[in-house]
Amino acid sequence: MDKVHKASRTLEITILSAENLSLNRKSIKNNAYVIARVDPINFGSTRAGFEGGSNPSWNEKLTLDMPFQTRFITLEVKCKTSSGDRVVGTASLPLSDILGDYTPESHLHFLSYRLRDSRGEKNGIINVSARVKEPVESMRPAVTENPVRSGCSSSWKQPAMGVPVGHQMNYYGGGVTRGFPIWS
Amino acid sequence: MGLCYSGVRGGKQAIGGTSLQNPNSNNNAAHNDAVDFFFKSNGQQALFTQVELSLSASNLLDRDITSKSDPMVVLLAKKRDGKLEEVGRTEVISNNLNPTWIQKITVTYQFEMVQPLVFHIYDVDTSYHNKPVKSLKLKDQEFLGEASCFLSEIVTRHDRTLTIQLQNRNGHGILRKLGALTVHAEETIASRTAVDITLRCYQLANKDLFSLSDPFLRISRMVEGGGYVPICKTEVVNNNLNPVWRPLCLSWQKVVSLSRFTLIQENPLVIECFDFNSSGNHVLIGKLQKSMADLETLHREKNGANFVIQSSHGHEKVLKGQLFVDLFLEKEQYSFLDYVSSGFELNFMVAVDFTASNGNPRNPDSLHYIDPSGRLNSYQQAIMEVGQVIQFYDSDRRFPAWGFGGKTPAGTISHCFNLNGSASFEVEGIEGIMAAYASALHNVSLSGPTLFGPVINTAAQIAGQSLSNSNSKYFVLLIITDGVITDMQETKDALVRASDLPLSILIVGVGGADFTQMEILDADNGQRLQSSTGRMATRDIVQFVPMREVNSGQISVVQALLEELPGQFLTYFRSRDIKPHARHVC
Repeated sequence: MDKVHKASRTLEITILSAENLSLNRKSIKNNAYVIARVDPINFGSTRAGFEGGSNPSWNEKLTLDMPFQTRFITLEVKCKTSSGDRVVGTASLPLSDILGDYTPESHLHFLSYRLRDSRGEKNGIINVSARVKEPVESMRPAVTENPVRSGCSSSWKQPAMGVPVGHQMNYYGGGVTRGFPIWS
Repeated sequence: MGLCYSGVRGGKQAIGGTSLQNPNSNNNAAHNDAVDFFFKSNGQQALFTQVELSLSASNLLDRDITSKSDPMVVLLAKKRDGKLEEVGRTEVISNNLNPTWIQKITVTYQFEMVQPLVFHIYDVDTSYHNKPVKSLKLKDQEFLGEASCFLSEIVTRHDRTLTIQLQNRNGHGILRKLGALTVHAEETIASRTAVDITLRCYQLANKDLFSLSDPFLRISRMVEGGGYVPICKTEVVNNNLNPVWRPLCLSWQKVVSLSRFTLIQENPLVIECFDFNSSGNHVLIGKLQKSMADLETLHREKNGANFVIQSSHGHEKVLKGQLFVDLFLEKEQYSFLDYVSSGFELNFMVAVDFTASNGNPRNPDSLHYIDPSGRLNSYQQAIMEVGQVIQFYDSDRRFPAWGFGGKTPAGTISHCFNLNGSASFEVEGIEGIMAAYASALHNVSLSGPTLFGPVINTAAQIAGQSLSNSNSKYFVLLIITDGVITDMQETKDALVRASDLPLSILIVGVGGADFTQMEILDADNGQRLQSSTGRMATRDIVQFVPMREVNSGQISVVQALLEELPGQFLTYFRSRDIKPHARHVC
């Protein structure tokens, strides 16, 4: 019954640039590209950049289907080398950074993340801009009104779906817990 | 601002121009500390906007017996010490009580200053009519009237025009109708034109011992007297004798010279290529002198220009290394005043530190002591000075005002309570903030610890929610604190989230505490803030100034804090391609 409707939103993510990339401790020269992955079947990739060295720019927009249960988007920077495609670094973009932080859905978010290589070491920064478009077809599960989002004019369109949305509005405690691994 | 930690990473950043394709970079479009410091230490002004004032008047007093008055306007600026200094004069118009002067007067608009202007209108006696206007002695002329206003009042109006009733000298009442003066402001074309330029070099000399040079370029404009003043520099490319730098955006304003008779495109620029050394002793590889027009020609003809260097004999040696211009694109950019006069607003918010380290307010030593003689304490001074500048850009004059770190009458310690003690967090006008502050000192007892997180999150929430209604509001939160914060990571997290919102945060440190942490938040050393989840700040939205350092120098707290605000504002709106509202063509 539910299979008839597509339970997903559209994510528009523009891969802008990356900074300070290195492979094997040397700055990379060129041929870096980025894969943005929602899940194993929804992903997109930029073309490989030929200039810019360790600070490549792509400015390429990828449009991906994003099922409602999505919690992260993975960004993977790879480099074409003579010995194959090597992973330079990855970062996780939590959906809560795009949805549910007081801003209306149409807000274009400019986001940056620390990239970590396969050993978990810091390896540069990736810069993207992202926006969620309205649901493709809405198969609306039980909508839990998010008590925090009072100012949003488009809040009726928001099915809050198990996505860790927003932060505790606890002004008198100060702390914000996210449940994500804390990088040192 | 304040103490500058540049570090190697910071030192390698491009400064001055804007990185073209990376709206998330930390490059500040309008100012940067190193260049600012250079300018100030040489007594020169940093980036400024030239505004031309056109004047007209109506119903002027008729002083002449046989004909009508022959009016001329003299514009004066009121300095910080209250003295008036002449800025310029219009021409004399004969026989006209409703003149429209042709000669415009140019003033420098500086966002971070309150700029009071005074206009004096004189009736010039016929015997002086053929003399140059500059030579006229004002005491020999008949005074027709005076008008005063602030420059920001004029430029923030949507038609950039202000009409003021004329008064007697020094504003001593209006004994009879003296008429009115109308002032219209226009930015000069330089403020809106910029050039996107990509530079690269070929066959640079190697200055490093065990590797290759790490070149960067510094572009300077020539000034009177033959010296030159840096306007921007590229980032450092490591280990490369054929570097390609990221595109730069050079605004014409930066290139403008002091002489009005040369076209901006022909002003000579000096381009120096240095080999970066982490010690700071960068080695000059070579330099050359080209104007913007020359650079455009280089681009068009795809030619290279050779660098030269002074040899030890004093001759100029032509080097093998060449400069190429791969991209040269002139473009129109909307200026800060374009946005502001079309209806974009700055919304001012204040947060005051109520932690116990300030000292008991009844005690004259306390940072919160309210002096009965009327002398403002540091908190009041900061609120007054910043508020006085920003209030012109906030149309409804309703300012959210909070306190943090205090124990409210309800008995609980709050890290974000309404300063006026009521349910509404907004107060009316700067005087409203001062009144709420004074009354809070009576009702709230100082406590602690010092946490910024809640206040920043509240301000961010307001900024984020406003986006649902309007995308033309930019929020400015002023935090005044005496101490060291205890929630550094939460503050960084809050700032990283806020960097994606239309919000800037100004922090004033009062008292004598060690404000090293604040310098980290200010991120002027080039280190981007990182949250606990691995997210990085996309913009540097924090400006910090310790009050004590500023009091000893010549610049005020306000100037130091506010200088970067127009740049942060522009970076936010330009990166999202949000343009000023359409203007009605007059």
